[in-house]
Amino acid sequence: MPDAYVVAAGQSPFGSFPTETYLSLFETAFERALDSLDGPLDPDRIGAAYLGNLGVGGRQIGLSGPAVTEYVGLPGLPTTRVENACGAGGYAFHEAVQAVRGGGVDVALAGGYEVMTDTGSDQTRWWLGVSGETAWERMAGTTFAGVYAQMAGAHMAAYGTTVEDLSRVAVKNHANGAENPNAHLGFTCTLEDAMDAPMVADPLNLYHCCPTTDGASAVLVANEAVVAELGAVPVRVAGTGVASGRVGLFQRSSLTSIPATKRAAERAYADAGVGPDDLDFAEVHDCFAIAELLAYEDLGFCEPGEAGSLLREGRTDPDGDLPVNTSGGLKSKGHPIGATGTGQVVEVFHQLRGEGHVQVDDPRYGLTHNVGGSGGGVAVHVFEREGAA
Amino acid sequence: MSGIDRPAAGDRGIAAAGVHVPRPRLPTAAQREVWDAVRAPGIESVAIPAADEDALTMAVAAAERALGAWDGDRADVASATLATTTPPSAEVGLGGRLALALALDDGVATAVLSTDLLAGASALDRALDASGPALVAVADAPVGDPGADGQRLGAGAAAFVVADDAAAPLVERAWKTESNPGVRHRPSGGDLTGLGVNRYERGAVGTGVGRAFDRLDVAADDLAGAALHQPHAGAPYRLARAIGLEPDVVARGLVADRLGDAGAAGVPLGLCAALAAAGPGDLTLAGFAGSEGGGAAFVLAGGLAVAGLDALDGGVEVAYPTALRLRGDLGDGSVSGGGAYVSLPSWQRSLPYRYRLVAGRCPSCGGLAFPPEGACPSCAERVAFEPAELSREGTVVAVTVIGEGGAPPEFADYQRRAGPFATGLVECGAPGGGTVRLPAMFTDVDPGAVEIGDPVRAVFRRLFVQEDVARYGTKFVPA
Repeated sequence: MPDAYVVAAGQSPFGSFPTETYLSLFETAFERALDSLDGPLDPDRIGAAYLGNLGVGGRQIGLSGPAVTEYVGLPGLPTTRVENACGAGGYAFHEAVQAVRGGGVDVALAGGYEVMTDTGSDQTRWWLGVSGETAWERMAGTTFAGVYAQMAGAHMAAYGTTVEDLSRVAVKNHANGAENPNAHLGFTCTLEDAMDAPMVADPLNLYHCCPTTDGASAVLVANEAVVAELGAVPVRVAGTGVASGRVGLFQRSSLTSIPATKRAAERAYADAGVGPDDLDFAEVHDCFAIAELLAYEDLGFCEPGEAGSLLREGRTDPDGDLPVNTSGGLKSKGHPIGATGTGQVVEVFHQLRGEGHVQVDDPRYGLTHNVGGSGGGVAVHVFEREGAA
Repeated sequence: MSGIDRPAAGDRGIAAAGVHVPRPRLPTAAQREVWDAVRAPGIESVAIPAADEDALTMAVAAAERALGAWDGDRADVASATLATTTPPSAEVGLGGRLALALALDDGVATAVLSTDLLAGASALDRALDASGPALVAVADAPVGDPGADGQRLGAGAAAFVVADDAAAPLVERAWKTESNPGVRHRPSGGDLTGLGVNRYERGAVGTGVGRAFDRLDVAADDLAGAALHQPHAGAPYRLARAIGLEPDVVARGLVADRLGDAGAAGVPLGLCAALAAAGPGDLTLAGFAGSEGGGAAFVLAGGLAVAGLDALDGGVEVAYPTALRLRGDLGDGSVSGGGAYVSLPSWQRSLPYRYRLVAGRCPSCGGLAFPPEGACPSCAERVAFEPAELSREGTVVAVTVIGEGGAPPEFADYQRRAGPFATGLVECGAPGGGTVRLPAMFTDVDPGAVEIGDPVRAVFRRLFVQEDVARYGTKFVPA
């Protein structure tokens, strides 16, 4: 099976850009991705596109994928819009990798786009709930914040995790995001800020929740021949794994773990032939602070119940042994639903090439973890800088 | 004792009763801080429906208690009547949902009696004439101008199982019609009003109740208790003087002092209080008045325990602005918009699961599924689940509090009225073992007080209104 490599990656600024469109945002991301190429690439070499998008606001839900690729000058390109809520981008990337590995195309475009801040608050309220379990969970008055809050409460009850642990996620990720010029909320916050913010869904306060964000991201996945032609720094997709889970929390066996993350991680690690101990950094899905802690445990960074101490000990700080969310994560960088998954790949691409805004020390393996909803679909990818020690 | 025929064994009457009173109470003293004049004679507090209560949910709550106290099988209930002057919509079917929520047989004859304060009397009258066990649920939450008649308006529900060989058999009954328009009136979508012509209104009511009573063989001296028409706590004493009843007899059936004017449910609630206080040889009068005057009088013998009566003196006091908010007097918080719409046809499909917590047992592996659709969560086989009605008692396994503005838009108006609410997961047991987790909202509780491990009990409540149609389902209250 041919290996797949990331040869280009770019993102638009993440933030609130109500006068931008999903098309214009994607164009920026695509241009930046092309700018990141190490050599010239004929756009005709791109044989397929997989683009993540939820369609918040209900604008162009149908056929937005082809609209985007036509807009950026890729006429006739076979384009598939991928919808798996907040995990759409991670799944789109998975599809692009499979297309290249399958040998059918030399280069595949993966990306995502979402516009979330150009609608009034009433409209936004309707749209934010569409990826939860709508028939039962939502009918119990619960939004995503409420569902993750329930997991947080269960984790606190089971393991003694504290509000301070949750707040430290925000402090760490904002410190990283403050260095990222593309971050939506690129400012630092103190532990006090993150402890005393207004309550959203007990125990989650405002600083335990990511923002709603406009943005787009784009990466090019290519085979080894293209890497050679470009003379590209070889960022290899070492492993990829995706997995489904029950959409509603009430339908799952565990309240303190996301089973789909575990399954996706098992597949990605097996595909890569490496394990969590081999990783040098990770971008994980911190839509809510508790989600980052759950990710530590479900991805095997630590044992169940130990995520709080992993964080407290500074081991996921940029100078720790496993830095997490050097980009700022969803919390600070922002969370434009469909664009988040490939946005994580953008960070990994730059980290493995030594171009990170918060650069970790000479990394070889990096991981991305992208969750749809509260765990209905998860994509995990492992990347390797070939030739690194 | 005058020459009346005492009831004999096997006689028809009230076999079981239950009441429901909303938890929020507005003290009249709190209204006096706002209004120069508060027209609520003898009323210490009024009951305010919680933001998720209406006539149907209150009727279900009272009826659930009555059926629970009855030694018969609810599947044998032959007729079910809901009486209310405040149905959730001007035209709306309710009998089917009442029957489903109470797990009655789908062959039960249902009726909704409305528009007249005598609705409860009519429902009781028909149940006494019917054959087979008959359920009567009277629930009301009259609405009025907060600066006028609204000051004395309360809410509540009473339900009776009427059957042969009853604990409180009927001794006799009589009716008196009057035709005095405007005594009590509420235009469509408007507030309850009277004419303000006291002599006209008192005359119509007094004549109705008095003449109906006069037609009975029972004499005033025979009565140990009486639940009389009570738009406020002074009215039944005035009626009693005309009939010749002593104040202590009337006091047994007085609830308006604690609940306010509970509309058509006022006398039924008072009757429950009086029957609960009655000894085996006591006779109790229920004296109803109608919205155009007129009245009905029922005399029952003996007494019975009534589930839910404790709530008469319970509840939690709310501040005046909270009461206005709960009643929706401070505007509508409905949010228009798009995504995540659950259509009414697809909602209908799930009603047995939502109302009665019907889960599914996998015939292949014995695992449980809720809702009982799709592949078995345990063995992934696509099976036809055997219905398994979950226990209505459960345990909280996850909980959060959703603050203002954080609710899904369907619940925006509810949250505007109720404020922050608790929601989470409740684990309920299934017959034959095993448990299922249900996502559910908690109600009638301080949201911050719900904790993992708490025992809770299922109640039937209004979840939200969409397309002008109320959607009902299960919430949980502290057990």
